[in-house]
Amino acid sequence: MRERITFIQKQGDSIEPTTLKIKGGVLNGPEIQAAREDRLTIAIDELPKDLQALLGTAHELHIRYVSSQPYEAITPLLARLPPGFHLFYTPAGQADATYPALFLALNQLFGGVQCENPEKSFTTLPRDRFSHSAAYQFYQPSVDLSPFIALAKEKLCSSSKDQSCAARADRLTNASSLDISYDAISHAVKLTATWPYQKQEVHATSRPQTRTEVGVLNSDRPGHLEPHELGISGLLTVLGQDKKPSATMFAFASRHRDAESSFSAEFLEPTGLHPTLQLRLESSKPPIEDAYCSPHAYFTLPKTIFADRHQLSDDLFLASKNLTGLRYISQPVDLEAPEYVEKRWGSSLLLELSPPKHEESRSWTAQVPLHLRYLSPAEGGYTDIQVPYPAVFWACAAEEGTKFPNNPFEKANLGYDGLFGPRTVFWHVEPRPTIGNRLSNMIKVPVLDTNKAEWVSGGTGLAVLLGFAWIMWKLFGVLSKSGYQNQPLQAAEVVKAKKNQ
Amino acid sequence: MATTSPAAPRPKSKSSSLLSTLFSRPLTLYVSAFLLRLVLLLYGLWQDANSPLKYTDIDYLVFTDAARFVSRGESPYTRETYRYTPILAWLLLPTTWTAGAQWGPLAVKVINVAWFSFGKVLFAAADLVAGWLIEEVLVMGKDFPSSSAAQGKEKDTDEKKEGGRKGPSETASTGMDPSRARAFAAIWLLNPMVATISTRGSSEGLLGVLVMALLWAILSRRITLAGLLLGFSVHFKIYPFIYAPAIVWWMDQERLSGVRAGGGGGGGGGGGQKKTSSSFRKKFTSFLTLPRLLLAFTSLATFLSLNFLMYRLYGHPFLQETYLHHVTRIDHRHNFSPYNTQLYLSSASVLSPSHSAGAAAAAAAAAAEPKSKIESLAFLPQLVLSTILIPLTLAKKDLPTSLLAQTFAFVTFNKVCTSQYFLWYLVLLPLYLPRSSFWTSKRMGLVALGLWVLGQGLWLQQAYELEFLGRSTFLPGLWMASLGFFVVNCWILGVIVGDGGR
Repeated sequence: MRERITFIQKQGDSIEPTTLKIKGGVLNGPEIQAAREDRLTIAIDELPKDLQALLGTAHELHIRYVSSQPYEAITPLLARLPPGFHLFYTPAGQADATYPALFLALNQLFGGVQCENPEKSFTTLPRDRFSHSAAYQFYQPSVDLSPFIALAKEKLCSSSKDQSCAARADRLTNASSLDISYDAISHAVKLTATWPYQKQEVHATSRPQTRTEVGVLNSDRPGHLEPHELGISGLLTVLGQDKKPSATMFAFASRHRDAESSFSAEFLEPTGLHPTLQLRLESSKPPIEDAYCSPHAYFTLPKTIFADRHQLSDDLFLASKNLTGLRYISQPVDLEAPEYVEKRWGSSLLLELSPPKHEESRSWTAQVPLHLRYLSPAEGGYTDIQVPYPAVFWACAAEEGTKFPNNPFEKANLGYDGLFGPRTVFWHVEPRPTIGNRLSNMIKVPVLDTNKAEWVSGGTGLAVLLGFAWIMWKLFGVLSKSGYQNQPLQAAEVVKAKKNQ
Repeated sequence: MATTSPAAPRPKSKSSSLLSTLFSRPLTLYVSAFLLRLVLLLYGLWQDANSPLKYTDIDYLVFTDAARFVSRGESPYTRETYRYTPILAWLLLPTTWTAGAQWGPLAVKVINVAWFSFGKVLFAAADLVAGWLIEEVLVMGKDFPSSSAAQGKEKDTDEKKEGGRKGPSETASTGMDPSRARAFAAIWLLNPMVATISTRGSSEGLLGVLVMALLWAILSRRITLAGLLLGFSVHFKIYPFIYAPAIVWWMDQERLSGVRAGGGGGGGGGGGQKKTSSSFRKKFTSFLTLPRLLLAFTSLATFLSLNFLMYRLYGHPFLQETYLHHVTRIDHRHNFSPYNTQLYLSSASVLSPSHSAGAAAAAAAAAAEPKSKIESLAFLPQLVLSTILIPLTLAKKDLPTSLLAQTFAFVTFNKVCTSQYFLWYLVLLPLYLPRSSFWTSKRMGLVALGLWVLGQGLWLQQAYELEFLGRSTFLPGLWMASLGFFVVNCWILGVIVGDGGR
């Protein structure tokens, strides 16, 4: 088991090495303004047996939870996803054989996973173009982390008396993201949690049978930095091994960068059954000058709401919404089914946005037309749904020949990265809501009011019966007056009959 | 969502000289019907090219997408929500054609747009042919009381045996004067709702021409042709199967020229006296006339062989999308049907286990099972009226009115009802209107039209509040509005039934 604890400050905010006190596997430091990332790498044979069995059936499994609290991204922790619970999965063998175990494990690890049948709930990801994306995707806007925290305490804390370990697990509640990543090649599970940029004390304690490395880093710009690279400098300490921190400075290529601008997303009023989500971007300028860049929005929409890809195929229509085109949508998306019969979790889509062509940068909007499904009838006639913010980024092409080898803070398999070529760099735009403090919007969806539904069955039946009876009455009137024969014909028959006599 | 349009006819004053010149010569009417569609088609192209709000119906994009799949050798059902026979996609194959590079860029654009509009042209042309058939049937005036007959004049049945439709005495007694016939055909031909629907690219116009051709064929004793048309139209859109019992019932021996010796009575008199088993058997065998068997054979053979062919070509998706979907569908977005609210309610109570635990939900679903029976019962009044009682009562007296009443009942009592369905009965309206109470009493006609429009208007107002303002108008607004519209329709249907029995 290996542990890596990283405190990351902004550029220029480095601390003096002497302020870090290392004593017997415990590191103490000053209170600093920093983001924090904890990464625990567990070899598969160190895991409990049931989890081993589960992961044995997987080729690749990535669970990514992102908090709906807005947070400022700090280099190099820049990759963003829409807030919520994401799952990317590639089975080792036949998918349907592994589903029951996966389903069971998901429900043990997290509360409120609305995935009764992975076979029907998951959507497939395109694997034809770039093989580095997982096979299946699942998403839901929120999840309960408490079972996972309880499990972490049970398995990771040496004893129930270890208060600091328990407190650390509890802090997962405030994490801005939590990743659980496994792939069959590395044969290890990586648990990565990050906390937002805030005031916090530098502190770390080593644990038995664990190599713990602590870094107090800040982003930097060393002279030899290539345009596609990020620079990091700071202090590294391996607990129980190093007597004092060692200074470090390194640079690495990163596919995720900070565009240093923000956006917000709001629904236009009235929302009706076809709400329009308006994205307001602070800047219309690409983050770098000398590369082809284009802004994109990546959505994971729960099944209550969807985009119609056919509607998003007309150039005039798209242009009127400041959209360039629909680059990807998970297939299939049922355009008619009510929410309560839809089995798939929802849909993911990638939209290319069309910024105004102006010399100077200005704020601009793009409108995303969406459609609501019918929801179950409810008391009061309205049901609130949450629609998560998208991830918005400028996708820029890196120079020919640029390589992006794995870096220590790399995140791959985010749902959208597989939709772009390997030389694409994602310059993330920070979500910053103008109203409220959540990275999601609420819609009040009109539904059938069950309080008023008492008379529907009887009333409908009565109306149909009355209508039916009235027509029956008229039919009876016709039959009793003139039968069902053609009148003149009957007359002719009588004539014929008389002649025959 | 359904939309309304002024649909029903307006009484036309005989004194209007402009109108009489319009109808006196066929050319003026058909040219104006053609021009109406041409203008709408061109306007639609302009709107599509210049506005993000499209004139073209979404269904048209479904058809043309399906045609594109077919052109690439794929199944039309690759296009989601394509719920039609593959023949429609085949018919629209020209919409996938494009101009070669030898033309200039502007010419290429024009040619491509023209090819893409092929379907709309086809649907609009179908409208015109349907209108012409309406005129033909009215002029033919056979086997159903003409407007003059409604005033008490009876016709000589012996003349019926003389197959040909141009019997001079016959046209004089029952057929309609051509210019008057054209005036009624104009209800269809110059109807803005009809012209808009087909130029927006909805395929209902094709059904109009199929149904009118079926009626024309059967009235002119072209039994094989009628069978082919019947089988084809049922394959195309299912609902015309309701016409089969009416046509079969109507096909008395007396009515058809090939009379066999022996069987005197048709399908049994209004008040039979000697009801022995042998006479029943006799009646039954005499019911099975050669033309009836021929019609049954040709229509069934057409229907089955088309389905067999399509199934061989496209497999289960064909069956699922074209037919089974209509049985299993639960996409009850609001529509005019009186059952709509009830279906929303019961579908949700049966099928919403997603939020509760599996076992409990299954139990709840099982408990709610009897509730869903209301849905299956909804077929009953609809089918009893449209396939049994109305044809039995009216078909022999007045076949076109019977078909109209059946269609009206089918649409009114259907589980799903949108404004496109109104076209199904609108095409038959000109045949019935001349001898209807709505025509004899213009006031009653206006009241019916007014109520029909008002019923839709009230519903649309509620639907607008739901769809665009997000107000929960399901109850009571939308529900009451759909029931109100249903009641209006039932009243109109009752009057049609009464008129058909005169």
